[in-house]
Amino acid sequence: MDFEVLWRYAPSLLSGFGVTVLCWGAGGALGVALGFLIALLNRLRLAPLRRLLRVFIEVFRGTPFLVQLFLLYAGGPYIGLRLSATTAGVIGLGLYSSAYFAEIFRGGFAAVPVGQIEAATSVGMKPFDVLWRVTLPAALIAALPPIVNMLIVLSKETVVLSIITVPELMYQMQTMAAETFTAFDAIFAMAVFYWLLVEGVSRLGRRLEARVTAFMAEEARPA
Amino acid sequence: MHPQVILHSFGYLTQAAGMTLAVSLAGIALGFVIGAAVCIARLSRRAWLVRLGGVYVSVFRGVPLLVLLLFIYYFLAKFGVDVPALAAAIGGLALSSGAYQSEILRGAINATPPGQAESAVALGFSGVEIWRRILLPQALRISIPSLINEFILLLKASSLVSVVGIAELTRVSMNIASLTYRPLEAYVGGALFYLAINLGLAALGALAEQRLAGERA
Amino acid sequence: MIEIRGLDKSFGAHKVLRGVDLTVGRSEVVCLIGPSGSGKSTLLRCVNFLESYDAGEVRIAGKLIGYEDAPDGTRRPMGAWRLREMRREIGMVFQHFNLWPHMSALRNVAEPLRRVRGLSVSEADDRARAMLKRVGLSDKAAAYPSRLSGGQQQRVAIARALAMQPRLMLFDEPTSALDPELVGEVLEVMKSLASEGMTMLIVTHEMGFAAHVADRIAFIDDGRIVDEGRPRHVFHESAEPRVRQFLQTYHDRNSF
Repeated sequence: MDFEVLWRYAPSLLSGFGVTVLCWGAGGALGVALGFLIALLNRLRLAPLRRLLRVFIEVFRGTPFLVQLFLLYAGGPYIGLRLSATTAGVIGLGLYSSAYFAEIFRGGFAAVPVGQIEAATSVGMKPFDVLWRVTLPAALIAALPPIVNMLIVLSKETVVLSIITVPELMYQMQTMAAETFTAFDAIFAMAVFYWLLVEGVSRLGRRLEARVTAFMAEEARPA
Repeated sequence: MHPQVILHSFGYLTQAAGMTLAVSLAGIALGFVIGAAVCIARLSRRAWLVRLGGVYVSVFRGVPLLVLLLFIYYFLAKFGVDVPALAAAIGGLALSSGAYQSEILRGAINATPPGQAESAVALGFSGVEIWRRILLPQALRISIPSLINEFILLLKASSLVSVVGIAELTRVSMNIASLTYRPLEAYVGGALFYLAINLGLAALGALAEQRLAGERA
Repeated sequence: MIEIRGLDKSFGAHKVLRGVDLTVGRSEVVCLIGPSGSGKSTLLRCVNFLESYDAGEVRIAGKLIGYEDAPDGTRRPMGAWRLREMRREIGMVFQHFNLWPHMSALRNVAEPLRRVRGLSVSEADDRARAMLKRVGLSDKAAAYPSRLSGGQQQRVAIARALAMQPRLMLFDEPTSALDPELVGEVLEVMKSLASEGMTMLIVTHEMGFAAHVADRIAFIDDGRIVDEGRPRHVFHESAEPRVRQFLQTYHDRNSF
């Protein structure tokens, strides 16, 4: 690996990393928000709405992310949606992950012990308060580890954005590789970089998960 | 919206679906062999094997599949292998899936009661036989739902092998899009095929779970 | 057949066996009784080296198990192959049966014959069928463990161990995990084995069985053999306060 080359391209690589983080952050936020909304709407017990949401989830979980991106970026203009590559990337990540987050939140809600809700309703709490004070906090805590996990998965999906020419890290790396004929070295550096990044974030995620489970266990212990 | 585009390219898409399935099957099968080996390594008594297995899982779960695919492709091309595309595709899918499958199997084996292996040890079975006859068959049964899920994930991941030129569903959809100037229809067509395959696999998974639950009773 | 001398065993800082001495002669039936945590199961598991021991020795028919005496006087761990060879001669029956759920009863019994003794499929099946007949389960040969009662599963487990034609058999609380109604059928099989002259070392809570079938009983408490001898001696004539206390609670619970 020629370090002079790396130094020359440092600005573009850094900008690429910035775009990666931006897409991941914005896409992830969009996905979590949308997924949460879907999970909430699902609880309304309106059959036609639930069917629609189910279709949404099955479509976005049943098709590859790349195909969804192509549909959005290349097919978008044909339904009046002219998006820049980066915008398409962020929206793509958001839609794709929202389907998974919706299922994660659904699991979180299901994990709330029925007894806790019964305790709240039997004492006469209003349904809104039960949701706000009992169900939601418990559901969110239960959902936290899988959410962190999914965000880690999402960070790896950002490389797919390079295929629709979003100028994130992978794209910049490939540009550099093409211009300097260092394809093999460049891709190797990418592999090492992502491995270290994901491993590092995973470790943090595991620590967080340990903290959360300890917290949940504490909750169960009598005062 | 011109749905006839999908109808006209039905044949191509079907062929491409076949390629998608073939590549995915090869990937999951090879991935299983790798996964079993890594799992055994991680559960062995030799510390260096445990570490090696741990590093494998960390690397091949940490590196994005696209990066891995291109890496293998350039690697093989650099060292003069003739058909880098297919080898890179299956190899990349297998190496990546192997890491996830080893974790699935490891969880399943940890869920197996220790007495199972113990009785085999007491009878004088060798280590290899204990793995082959007692531990792996049971781990396999427990992990079949997760393995089917992994296959579904692999099938979607296979769309990335389009970048190394394999004529699977995504690549063929791209071709149709550029030939007909109708990307919307082309990619919807591809998406529909993926959905169809996934629905089939999900049904298979549900069936497998039912049968396993029944046997356990 | 089994000679245990000066056996010590610790799990971390916790010493579980303290200088245990015990012998089991050929065709003898010895029962190990005692309170929970006394080290009975650990002692049993040291005999076929499912647990390693820290000091002392365990000899099977005169041969040291688990370790080898090197020519320079030191002790080395025994090679894996040798250990397996020795284990073939020792049959073990576990508290939780440990049948393999993905194999039928017949296959459970036949598999060790095929893999460890190297018999052909038909030879192994023949011998397995004979063993299942011996424990009274001929009609259950094709059944899977999940379809068998606890007592039936344990009898299959005995058949599996017996099929290997071991020189001695170890029983680790064979009836503790069974419903009371099913205990009898297992004890019957064990009784018939004893009457045929099998050497048996049994860890059990079944005092009635121990009293009537054992040649000798050893009482273990806190890692030491506190008293041993013929059943009459241990149950009625023991001078050890710990033994009397243990048997007292047993008598209290069972003499309503």
